[in-house]
Amino acid sequence: MAEHNLEQIEKIREAVKQDLLGGRIDLLLGWEKGHYWWQSRPLFAQSEEDLEKLAWDSFCAVNLSRYLLEELKEHNKVGVLVKGCDARAFNRLLQDNMVPRDRVILYGLPCPGMLDYDRLAAEAGSVLLSITEENGQVVLITAEGEAKADRDEMLLDKCRGCIYPDPAVYDQMLLPPQGEKESPERFKKVEELEAMSAQERFAYWEKELSRCLRCYACRQACPYCSCRECFVEQENPRWQGRAYQPSENFMFHLIRAYHGAGRCIDCGECERSCPVGISLQELNRKLIKDINELYGDYEAGLDAELEPPLLTYRPDDPAAFSEK
Amino acid sequence: MKKIIAREKLPELWAHLSEQGPLFLPIQDGPVVLFQPWFEGAEINLDAVNSAVSPKDLFLPREETFMHYRCSGKQLEMTPVEPGEPVTAFGVHPCDLKAIELLDRVFLGQEPPDALYQQRRENTTVIALSCSAADPFCFCGDFGVDPADAPGADIMAHLSDDSMLFESRTEKGAALLEQAGDLLADAPEETFSREAVQTADFNLQLEGLAENLKDRFDDPAWDQLYKSCLGCGVCTYVCPTCYCFDVEDFGHEAEGERFRCWDSCMYGHFTEMAGGHNPRPERKERVRQRFLHKLQYYPEIHDEIACVGCGRCLRSCPVNLDIVQAIKALGGEKIEKR
Repeated sequence: MAEHNLEQIEKIREAVKQDLLGGRIDLLLGWEKGHYWWQSRPLFAQSEEDLEKLAWDSFCAVNLSRYLLEELKEHNKVGVLVKGCDARAFNRLLQDNMVPRDRVILYGLPCPGMLDYDRLAAEAGSVLLSITEENGQVVLITAEGEAKADRDEMLLDKCRGCIYPDPAVYDQMLLPPQGEKESPERFKKVEELEAMSAQERFAYWEKELSRCLRCYACRQACPYCSCRECFVEQENPRWQGRAYQPSENFMFHLIRAYHGAGRCIDCGECERSCPVGISLQELNRKLIKDINELYGDYEAGLDAELEPPLLTYRPDDPAAFSEK
Repeated sequence: MKKIIAREKLPELWAHLSEQGPLFLPIQDGPVVLFQPWFEGAEINLDAVNSAVSPKDLFLPREETFMHYRCSGKQLEMTPVEPGEPVTAFGVHPCDLKAIELLDRVFLGQEPPDALYQQRRENTTVIALSCSAADPFCFCGDFGVDPADAPGADIMAHLSDDSMLFESRTEKGAALLEQAGDLLADAPEETFSREAVQTADFNLQLEGLAENLKDRFDDPAWDQLYKSCLGCGVCTYVCPTCYCFDVEDFGHEAEGERFRCWDSCMYGHFTEMAGGHNPRPERKERVRQRFLHKLQYYPEIHDEIACVGCGRCLRSCPVNLDIVQAIKALGGEKIEKR
């Protein structure tokens, strides 16, 4: 791990240690290393010993804010390390009245974008032993030597279109900001899909969704899916059947996407979590694009005070019910 | 019987086999590889170490209709689904075949056997494929799996850069090779040598684990282990040894079909009873169930751990809560002797 990175971890650890040991928070949600150098998994730290495991590197993709839903049942005050998307996820939960603001301390971590192991491994060609990072490049270290790759090209899909790497809400910012980014290609795939005929588009989604296992990882990882009871589990009436039929696949994914209209923060956790690689983010981005076009630009999760367009009514609403 | 075919002639063999009945093999579907029926133009990926979802689907499909019903007035008509055509499974890796043998004990090892499973098992010729490479998630070595050999196969296949070698192990396998006729040539007795495949070593101590776990139902380790679990079903659905299922109807009152489909102990409704009581109300109880089923309950009945080290949960869990983490948290890590 680069020294620069160790310095950052030390800085984060010092900041949260004071609060955890001093009793300002009972629990810190952070990341620790998994079995592999390319996996950083959630850490639930309650002691100084736990904090020794704290990790902050280019693999901290898991969105931690969602864990607040469970952890606030057990703990009075919880600290969370938040990247840009984690902070927007927190605002999402706040707007849904799912978390009380005064029981959470947010530690802001401007995010350089998280790396995709599969991409790194493919780029390396032979067995990838480790990586280092320098000046916007990733150095891939293999048994056969070293190779360099452009860091932006090695990002997770979910991080490629990121516009807001800096936390929009925080109590304490721990690292220097990254600044807003441009994402000229954010809606490129959506536009390609829009350009298709209805039949082509249907065929595209039918094929994509045919892989769906109904494991609900997309829903469980999602910060807008915070309903205490999801329509999927409702028994009376029973909305969602278990058959792996196109109608049931569409039922789940389209209803879920509509529930996210104006609420999806575009964190991409759904797509990252999907074990069969369904391009779920495009469904969400289609709705983001539509909302922007119909109601004016709106970025969910950026400002908790700004009501999502579909949750408000204005007499001058641009889209009247009768319009086509 | 040993037969050989040039690699570039494999598509001809696949086309031939698929004429005899559905041929399932690892097909590239979008960004992942899945066992799917062969079709003209399918992108076959024999170099994939493991398919994203295990091929248990061939014997315990994620959805399997077994009866059609039709109801008019007081007349109820039920028609069972007829058994399908013979199936060929091509390219099943040794870990996945070992997992199917573990499922056999559940579905066939007691009376009466599970008819649906039995029918598929008997109806399928399995061509196993030795591994030419391991990915970093493979740790089958811990479970007595030999990446070079699958004892339960009808045909054992080996792939080299330019050819594929088949060795029949059962009559069913020999019949399939015979029937391929001129597409396959007799193979020389000496087979091509391959480098041994190195799998990951997580320093696990599996001997005695099931016994030790008997006293660990209330172990404090569970209080930490489950925390990161999102409560999705990825681990159970990609896993080759998870076999829980549910039965449901698709259709309406007058007409429809009854099917069974995968279910997951990670879901809240899994153990919910009529009246609303749920003996596994939270993620902690569910995570404990999943791991104890693999590591204690199954071994108590069948003398083997219900894991084959395929590594799919290590790869696919969105939060990296996998069986290796569980084994280590529960005393299954080797401690260096001084």
